[in-house]
Amino acid sequence: MSWVPLILIVLAPLFFAAVVIVRPSEHARTIATVGALAQFILTLPILTNFKWDAGETVQGVGSLPWLPMLGLEISVGVDAVALMLIALTTLLGPICVIASYSAITEKVKTYYAWLLILQAAMVGVFMARDLVLFYICFEFTLIPMYVLISVFGSTNRKAASTRFFLYTFTGSIIALAGLVYVVWFNAYGLASDVVQGAGTWTFDIGVLTQSAAYMSGTEQGWVLLALLAGFAVKVPLFPVHTWLPLAHTEAPTAGSVILAAVLLKLGTYGIYRFALPFAPAAVIEYAPIIATLSVIGIVYAGLICWVQTDIKKLVAYSSVSHLGFCVLGLVAANAVGLSGSVLYMINHGLSTGALFLLIGMIYERYHTRSLREMGGLAKKMPVWATFMVFFTMASVGLPGLNGFVSEILCLMGAFQADSAWAAGGLAPGATYGNVGPWIAAVAGTGMIVAAIYLLFMVGRICFGPLIEPAGHDHHDDDDAHASKLPTDLNGREIGVLLPLAALCLLFGLYPQPLLTGLESSVNQQAALVQAGAERVFAAESVLTLDDARAPVEWVAETEAAR
Amino acid sequence: MLTPIAELGVARALGALSVSAPEAASGYAPPVVDMAGPWWIGLIPFLPMLGLLLATACAIGGVKSKLPAWLTVGCLAASFAATVLAFFQLNGLPGGGAQVTVWWEWFGLAWGEGEGQRLSANFGFYMDNLTCLWMLFVTGLATMIALYASEYMSHDVGLGYCRFFAAFNLFVFSMSCLVMGDNLLLLFLGWEGVGLCSYLLIGYFYQKPAAVAAAKKAFIVNRIGDLGLVLGVLLTFVHFGTIEYAELFGSDKLVGYLAAIEAGNVDEVPLIAQMIPVLLMIGAFGKSAQLPLYVWLPDAMEGPTPVSALIHAATMVTAGVYLIARMFPVFLLSEWALPVVAWVGALTALLAATIGMAQFDIKRIMAYSTVSQLGYMFCGLAALTSVGGAFHVLTHAFFKATLFLACGAVMHGFAGQLDLRKLSGLSKVPGWRIVSIAMLVGCLNLAGFPFTAGYFSKDMILAESFITPGMAPIGWILLLTAGLTAYYTFRVFFRVFVGPVHYEPGDEHHGDDHGDDDHAHDGHGDGGFHPHAPGWAINLVLAVLAAASIAAAGLYFLGDKGGWVAGMIKDSTAYYPGFAAFTAEAVAHGGEEHAAHGTFLGMDPHKVMYYVSAVVGFVGIGIAAFLHGPKGLGGLLLGGRRRADVSRADGVAAKMGPIPAMAQGKWFVDEFYQFVVVGPLRFFALVFSLIDRLLVDGLVAMFGWLPRWIGGALRPSQSGVLHGYAVGMAGGVVVLLVILALMVFREPADPDADRRDAELIEFESSRVLDRGGPEWTTDADPVEAGAGADLAAQAAVEPPVMGSGS
Repeated sequence: MSWVPLILIVLAPLFFAAVVIVRPSEHARTIATVGALAQFILTLPILTNFKWDAGETVQGVGSLPWLPMLGLEISVGVDAVALMLIALTTLLGPICVIASYSAITEKVKTYYAWLLILQAAMVGVFMARDLVLFYICFEFTLIPMYVLISVFGSTNRKAASTRFFLYTFTGSIIALAGLVYVVWFNAYGLASDVVQGAGTWTFDIGVLTQSAAYMSGTEQGWVLLALLAGFAVKVPLFPVHTWLPLAHTEAPTAGSVILAAVLLKLGTYGIYRFALPFAPAAVIEYAPIIATLSVIGIVYAGLICWVQTDIKKLVAYSSVSHLGFCVLGLVAANAVGLSGSVLYMINHGLSTGALFLLIGMIYERYHTRSLREMGGLAKKMPVWATFMVFFTMASVGLPGLNGFVSEILCLMGAFQADSAWAAGGLAPGATYGNVGPWIAAVAGTGMIVAAIYLLFMVGRICFGPLIEPAGHDHHDDDDAHASKLPTDLNGREIGVLLPLAALCLLFGLYPQPLLTGLESSVNQQAALVQAGAERVFAAESVLTLDDARAPVEWVAETEAAR
Repeated sequence: MLTPIAELGVARALGALSVSAPEAASGYAPPVVDMAGPWWIGLIPFLPMLGLLLATACAIGGVKSKLPAWLTVGCLAASFAATVLAFFQLNGLPGGGAQVTVWWEWFGLAWGEGEGQRLSANFGFYMDNLTCLWMLFVTGLATMIALYASEYMSHDVGLGYCRFFAAFNLFVFSMSCLVMGDNLLLLFLGWEGVGLCSYLLIGYFYQKPAAVAAAKKAFIVNRIGDLGLVLGVLLTFVHFGTIEYAELFGSDKLVGYLAAIEAGNVDEVPLIAQMIPVLLMIGAFGKSAQLPLYVWLPDAMEGPTPVSALIHAATMVTAGVYLIARMFPVFLLSEWALPVVAWVGALTALLAATIGMAQFDIKRIMAYSTVSQLGYMFCGLAALTSVGGAFHVLTHAFFKATLFLACGAVMHGFAGQLDLRKLSGLSKVPGWRIVSIAMLVGCLNLAGFPFTAGYFSKDMILAESFITPGMAPIGWILLLTAGLTAYYTFRVFFRVFVGPVHYEPGDEHHGDDHGDDDHAHDGHGDGGFHPHAPGWAINLVLAVLAAASIAAAGLYFLGDKGGWVAGMIKDSTAYYPGFAAFTAEAVAHGGEEHAAHGTFLGMDPHKVMYYVSAVVGFVGIGIAAFLHGPKGLGGLLLGGRRRADVSRADGVAAKMGPIPAMAQGKWFVDEFYQFVVVGPLRFFALVFSLIDRLLVDGLVAMFGWLPRWIGGALRPSQSGVLHGYAVGMAGGVVVLLVILALMVFREPADPDADRRDAELIEFESSRVLDRGGPEWTTDADPVEAGAGADLAAQAAVEPPVMGSGS
């Protein structure tokens, strides 16, 4: 596979963004639609040309030297995981553009141009094969999103966008320090014959993945902490999730969709791509802590959802809860957990993205997000309510829909990831890892909590007696702000939701192609983590003075006791 | 289309065949699995799926007729026909045989070649006698009830009608997946799927807040059980390395455990295997409405009555019984799993019966009776007579569906009236004869009247409870409950169907309240009310089901001892021959061996229980007749009721103090849960929400303030005094120099140093691996070398706990 189509899906939206800027604003949305569709259509040949049976190898590699003396180059390439996330991003592009037709009526050029630029930056993150390109794209995604929230958001948008920017930017800076340390370690900390490519300045992710595993346990611990500072904020993991509800609530619909569906996945993708291979021993060592934070997030955020009256905030918090499962699967670091986690990234993007679209459609009609002011809308909008129930069930993790597949895999991955268990012989299904059944069992309560808050939401907004916000009973006639939308969904809105619904059903009933595509990647990743972690633990069990001393004191104590 | 894993299954099944043949006589025999079952078995679940698509198409096309109902009935009837076909071709298989038909690969992920290193779950269907038994009554009843619903829901023709039948089809699909799935994950898909349909159908009248709340409650309470089920499935996989029945039931591990138990070596079963049934049973308790998770089922009566009949009486709620029957070999692994099931079942049966006695809403009474009868089924399974449990499931499915549909006809005809104080003498109202007869048949079955199907199936459970060692108390509880059941069942019949004719309409139009519905129906509440007698569809279905309830008794005499159901179950994994052989032998020998297993007051329970339970039933019916029956023959000459709303029971209740009121208040279990579970959870949710808001407004705001604060702190340094800047600059240079120096010195002076380090690490780690444990003595530390020698000895005996990865 050539690198050309990869570059094209970055350049195409940028080109169309430029066209949006130079052409008059009444054409903006058409051009943006063409641009986003072009990006999506250009993704299709990549999907078909990609050799899925060798999904773990990076394909479509291409690089452009930039500052060779510093080892700086711009290189791209995708493996199965990156490609799936790219496909998710480019699929949501046209959906977001089309969903914005009626919502965005002012400053359309600014809006669509930044939306397209954001699309380019996001696919750039996933296809980057060197840290420089990765980090540039990773940070650059903040700017379009900042603009989308601060210009097109609702009432409290300024504060929300500022917090979003500062919070995630601060985290990313620390992550940068961690990444740079790995580069530095590769250049100066490791002899060139240990790993090919070591001993020189390079930002190549492949080389760094090989060499980072030679860092000592302490170094890995610090690197993991730094990386998590950036990525966990992005995910967001409890307790650094607090920027998310505000940003989501204030963002325009398309912004929320992209934020939930793709931008949060930059964090989990970062953990998958960097934290796991760069600090395998630290990941295994601290897996119980990270998993515990995930589980707290699952339950804590889930319960918070239950008392929200702002429906958008409810769904925003549900992202915090859901992505706890995703991180749980990542730190389980076995094949099942990792594949579940990658599927979770995709499935959460589809179902939560759709939920934000649905909420946006309601907001356009009633100009409120409050569950106190609306209710029983199934009576008035049966089509909308059908979609709402459908995507809620996908989000609840109902088997047969996509959410279940990833949720059960993440839970199972966490459940079986217990080295001691695997060694005991009683559990042939257990694997190397450090999470275990107890944490998984507590995480499983998230299933119950999700049912509680999501059914609370549906029960309020879809079912029960019909309640409409004051002044919107005849919104077509006397409300100046009323959109020209019909009561129930129009063809465009149904068209936006249908592909997502179809994919939710398809990935729920037939996830096997995705799992097959991921199988070699996640197995390689799991093996990498296990080998890296075992090497460090084996070395440190001898060399660490503390470990060697502890039993001496123990012996001395028992002698004294005798 | 044989996937690699399917081939593995074939090999395993063949292996099991050759191994198990000699030991088939006693103990556990792994099923003989044919991995290439006929493809059309998959039509049984997918014909209802077709029905779902057709009903959806009707909804999109805006069909305003009964078309979706006929399409549904057609699809379900075809599905039933396929099941019957499956039953006959399954009969050709040797005993204990099963067929697996895989339609497509659902999940499949491998991380190694060894045992338990591949997770696999297909859209495959496992057909054995147990499955077949369940599917026969699921698809059969679903067809009949869909026909009934075509009339019952007729005032909703349009979108609501399509929605109802779409969900109805989805339910049958899910239930089929639950029962037919060839692995625990597909069972779970069905399990949650029926939960969803239950949610959608309970909440069918979605504008009624009570219906929405009940739907939500059903789903959430079920989810609590589902968590147990999921964990049980995960543990099954981790321990047995598979979740596919064909492999699981043939696995050497399971066979070995059961052989060990039979040999009396219970200790050979590890705790982890014993935990599996405990977790699975939590799921079963949720779905089958047992203590402590039964609270959702009575509320579920907010749904349309056909739904109550099919989902909440006949089929879905037996899923828990099915789960235990399906996983019966695994339930045998724990000494106390089945006793727990028995106690939960018995206590639920009793509790629900006491509540049922005090209710006035006839549909609620039936709901509590369902909870109670499900308790019987659990006891039946736990008394090692899965035959009795399954037989009771079957008979209960028919007679409870009959009862519910009769109640539904009343509700349909009397504008939602369900209060037994406001209805009386319905059998004398023109057009209500078939309903009354069907009701009587249902009541006789439920009350365990001699020679009805319910009598035989209940007896089987009662007798077996007294026989099974240690379960006599359960037998007594069940016997008491049988009396209570007879009482509350005939309380309904004597109040509503006989006696002076009196009726008041309910406050609803057929249970739903579509505000702008046609008001052409019978007048509301005032004297002009005329009941709306059931039409042909309702009458036909009631007649067929009542006949089937009676005919089900014949199954007891069909085939070998124990009847047709026994024959079916004995040819499946739900039966444990070891124990049955033991009891049968003992019964035959009589005498002192009899004492080894239970007796009923010194008599053989098998023989005496027929009479005992008949007497208990008569007593219950008699008391009901005395307290609620009208004067004359209608009250069996015992009663004296002259009015609809007053009976002798009122006087009795007045003398019992607060007990009737508490029973009517359902012993305040709902309130207790509200206080102990929901309230605190809600409180935590509010507190968390508050904390989170503080974090947002506090911590993040601090982020914003930090730069300003630092700026403020540093502002004095910008004093404009030159030497101040100079000092600052010098400081900066020093810091930079230090950093540079550190980097230079970090850079290896000897290029080989790092490699040596790496080699050392490799060397040390290889030493560790060679020794198979951590190495404690290091020559580098002479001070500890002496202690190290002792330590090595210590470590050999008792290796100290190391870091998590070692």
